[in-house]
Amino acid sequence: MDSYLLVIGYGNTLRRDDGVGPKVAAALERLRLQGVLTIACPQLTPELADPLSRAGAAVFVDASVEHRGPVRLRQLGPADSSQILAHAADPRVLLALARDAFGRAPRSWMLTIPAKELGFGERLSRPAALGLRDAVRLVRGLRLRLRGRRRAETSA
Amino acid sequence: MAKRIVIDPVTRIEGHAKISIFLDDAGQVSDAEFHVVEFRGFEKFCEGRPFSEMPAITARICGICPVSHLLASAKAGDAIMAVAIPPAADKLRRLMNLGQIVQSHALSFFHLSAPDFILGWDAPPATRNVFGLIAADPALARSGIRLRQFGQEIIEALGGKKIHPAWAVPGGVRSGLDEEGRARIRQRLPEAFATAEAALGIFLKALESHREEALIFGNFQSLFMGLVAPDGGWEHHGGRLRFTDSTGSVIADQIEPARYLEFLGESVQEASYLKTPYFKALGLPGGMYRVGPLARLNVCEHIGTPRADAELKAFKQMGRGAVTSSFLYHYARLIEIIAGLEAIERALEDPDLGSGDLRADAGVNSLHGVGASEAPRGTLFHDYTVDRSGLLKSVNLIVATGHNNLAMNRTVAQIARHYVQGDNIPEPVLNRIEHGIRCYDPCLSCSTHAAGQMPLRIRLVGPRGNVLREVVRG
Repeated sequence: MDSYLLVIGYGNTLRRDDGVGPKVAAALERLRLQGVLTIACPQLTPELADPLSRAGAAVFVDASVEHRGPVRLRQLGPADSSQILAHAADPRVLLALARDAFGRAPRSWMLTIPAKELGFGERLSRPAALGLRDAVRLVRGLRLRLRGRRRAETSA
Repeated sequence: MAKRIVIDPVTRIEGHAKISIFLDDAGQVSDAEFHVVEFRGFEKFCEGRPFSEMPAITARICGICPVSHLLASAKAGDAIMAVAIPPAADKLRRLMNLGQIVQSHALSFFHLSAPDFILGWDAPPATRNVFGLIAADPALARSGIRLRQFGQEIIEALGGKKIHPAWAVPGGVRSGLDEEGRARIRQRLPEAFATAEAALGIFLKALESHREEALIFGNFQSLFMGLVAPDGGWEHHGGRLRFTDSTGSVIADQIEPARYLEFLGESVQEASYLKTPYFKALGLPGGMYRVGPLARLNVCEHIGTPRADAELKAFKQMGRGAVTSSFLYHYARLIEIIAGLEAIERALEDPDLGSGDLRADAGVNSLHGVGASEAPRGTLFHDYTVDRSGLLKSVNLIVATGHNNLAMNRTVAQIARHYVQGDNIPEPVLNRIEHGIRCYDPCLSCSTHAAGQMPLRIRLVGPRGNVLREVVRG
């Protein structure tokens, strides 16, 4: 197991707010944070199970039209593995795939950002743009908490 | 009384579709139709855009095979500029296409199709998927995932980490492949070969107990179309078009892809957004043809690499002239993975890959340009007409799933005639019908340039158009 925090931002960058997940991944990539590995992709595909299984922890970042209000970070566990996986999957199915095929699913979180505009285009709506900023802050905070916990575990 | 069965949605394919099965007065299957029920209209909304933007725009048609559109679009742009691209750019584009073929075929075999013939047609649907495969053979499932990852890494090594790399451009490519990138790919080749060989062994063993499926799943006479090299060898990115028939006879050869409209007509079905191309000289339905791995191996005379050529010889012995069973698309796919890996291995030794001469520059020198490339699922055409400023006046895209439309209908009808008794469709029969479609590994997002996921419905329809039964899944 590697100790990196894997951030997977997914969505369609040409459908305005739907692209906020990849944009969060790109923003974090630009920050070059030590111990953070980012992946931006249009959808979750099976081969992501491999790097996921080697991550110390993982955060999935996605837009949601059902979500109103502030950015939400919640813990996520593997799905019941009887669910079908085809070309694309949801995060819980991917975690199950990582666990079943590669022997381990990391501790994971789902970061949901409110989406308001899903038409063609690359510009984020105001709620999604604010969500992007907050999402980056939340991931940075999570990284620090995880590093602190790891240090404490090492010294103990 | 005639009836119709509808399967809606079809699962484990890319996109959303439904199947209608028509029963006659005697309750026997009279016909079947595969409908694509999504619409997106990519061709229309590209009008007015500069042709130079098209590789980046059309790559968005599909999240699974953006590379195929990227490359065909760049080739159409080359034609509009009327340039010959630098040799290194051509080699790099070919390398990316090989990565695409490997990753896409790996996904089709290991994730979408293998669960059926490894776990069994009658296995519970809840476990007849990649998780069932993991439970049955974890090493195989794991290596299948890694094989797809390997193909993706080649694409990433060339195009960078961007989701839709605008790496191939009219006139060439943006960057070469450095030694570090080559070393990374080279290092993973032995594992990829081992996985492909293992999958081939598994499929050939499964074939022994799936003789009935090979006879029934889309086994009929048709034409085959694909690109071939000047010497008749296997092609995936350059070359010209060849059509063969079921006896293996060549009926049209070395056709410049730009002339495709002289040979192909497109008809429209009322109940589907998927157009139906056919070989013009034979009209409908005689002009039905198939594309993709099965067709490419039927139209070519050799592959040009040792391991793949040995398998091609065995493959060709499965037909009299041509291999006509669509069930053997799976076999053809695995042979193409091996061909792809051998070609990648060879390409990595080419010093041209590190060349700095990667892009020809020119303005609009032709108002019309066609780009053709072999996508994993079959021949892909991008056909653009522009004005003097290079703005698009019209766009025509013909993708593999469209080419195979008639053959998919025929396949569904053939399977339904064999397995459907009355108006009841038990789950294992439903799965066999769906698998008939999966043989072609259709990508409906590409074929209608549509958005969204692709579950499928089956409807059973009576002689007066009354829906007798409907199965919805996915």
